[in-house]
Amino acid sequence: MPHVSAFSFLSSWAGRGLGALLLTGLLGGCDLLEFSPNETRTPEEYRNLTRKNLDALAARPNPSRGDTLRFVFIGDSQRFYGEAEDFVRSVNQQPDVAFVLVAGDISDFGLVREMRWVDERLRKLRVPYLTVIGNHDHVANGRGAYEQVYGPLNYAFTYADTRFVLLDTNGREAGFNGTLPNIPWLESTLADTGGARRQIVVSHVPPFDGDFDPQLEQPYVEALARAPRLVFELNGHRHDFGVDYPYENNIPFINSYSFEKREYTLLTLWGDRGFRLDNISY
Amino acid sequence: MRALLLSLLLGAAVLPALAAAPTDPPTPPVPSTTDGLIAQPWYRPHHLIGQVAGGQGMVTVGVGYTTLRGRLDVDVLTGYVPRKYSITPMGIFTGKATYSPWTLGLGASRWQVRPLSVGGLVNYTASRGMNASLDGKYPKGYYWWPARSRAGAFVGGRVAYELPTKANGQPRTASLYYELGTNDLYLVSLYSNIKALSVADILTLGIGVKVDL
Repeated sequence: MPHVSAFSFLSSWAGRGLGALLLTGLLGGCDLLEFSPNETRTPEEYRNLTRKNLDALAARPNPSRGDTLRFVFIGDSQRFYGEAEDFVRSVNQQPDVAFVLVAGDISDFGLVREMRWVDERLRKLRVPYLTVIGNHDHVANGRGAYEQVYGPLNYAFTYADTRFVLLDTNGREAGFNGTLPNIPWLESTLADTGGARRQIVVSHVPPFDGDFDPQLEQPYVEALARAPRLVFELNGHRHDFGVDYPYENNIPFINSYSFEKREYTLLTLWGDRGFRLDNISY
Repeated sequence: MRALLLSLLLGAAVLPALAAAPTDPPTPPVPSTTDGLIAQPWYRPHHLIGQVAGGQGMVTVGVGYTTLRGRLDVDVLTGYVPRKYSITPMGIFTGKATYSPWTLGLGASRWQVRPLSVGGLVNYTASRGMNASLDGKYPKGYYWWPARSRAGAFVGGRVAYELPTKANGQPRTASLYYELGTNDLYLVSLYSNIKALSVADILTLGIGVKVDL
């Protein structure tokens, strides 16, 4: 009975196909079976990236000699995926880069899938990359998505005798309610240098921007002024490079290019306060 | 002629309200079997729905109506996403239209296939912890999209099994369907990154069952 065998072949083929589809759907495809674009659920591969990148960084000896530290500084990757690919190709050709710093607005709409699209590209960097949360990463459930994909909104790490303090300064997202940025956290974190030679503060919105909580501008700047061994503050948000000295204490505020500008800053530090900025087109 | 008159009178006799005017009986409503909307109050839904994912919730239930000779389903659904996958639990309220132009019977079996469906949906997500993008925190035009309202589109298919027909002759089925879709924000992302992103990047899958009442 040839038609029976043909039928059983077909059914087993279809059965296998359906089984494979279900397996892919249920195991690999949390991706496809999306409960909501605003869900914060993401596979382990895309979770706790700050912790994972800091571990990778700790395992890398400083590629520069002596007290020199070189890293790449850029911001606002939001919805510039092609640019992110070209950025990675360019940075991977730079010598002596220790890591890459992205000054917030990883996503445009605060969606977990966008953060993964960015990571899928930036994980191809030969060096670890670190981020700070931007205002766009606060939209909808973005804060929860950022915490899942990257990790804490305020954190600090030390590398090559340099302490980096990264914090959430997106005050407008909290309705300027006096809690963002967290001044007590900033003060206590900056006070304890852990013996590092230099300190650098990194945040998305600079304190002189209209999206910074105005009632916290003064306390924030005072906290920076009191901070021992502070070299400068790094910000994003304005989508363009710039070095400003807006306050009496002469702390430099360096702003990053956004990804769509196809330019990034190569930052080289030495000694207590020495630094050099090289802007690279890609 | 006498037979017709007799039958008209008999018909009138079973309708007491019309007994006073036996010479002028109205034609009783004839149930239509073609549009799937027979003899049923408008508010009674035609089917119940259970769904997972597809951007409409982790667990989603709904009701719906069928019209255009069984080709168009108009559904309303309520979905739930627990706190574990959000900041606070999300309630997702969806209105959806699904058009399936062809229904193919599978031989003499009770199975039917709708090989292609196309549809669209809009939904609203309620969640206390979700940060609104168009409220008073921002100057006008700061963000251009609403964080809580999404529009989506999808293609899909459906396999149905014929259940015993209802007393009024209306056919009933239980069916399994899928929707391969996306939403407005993913489409904007793809449109502005035609080279870097692919259609596969922005797809979502929903799977559900519909049972006719």
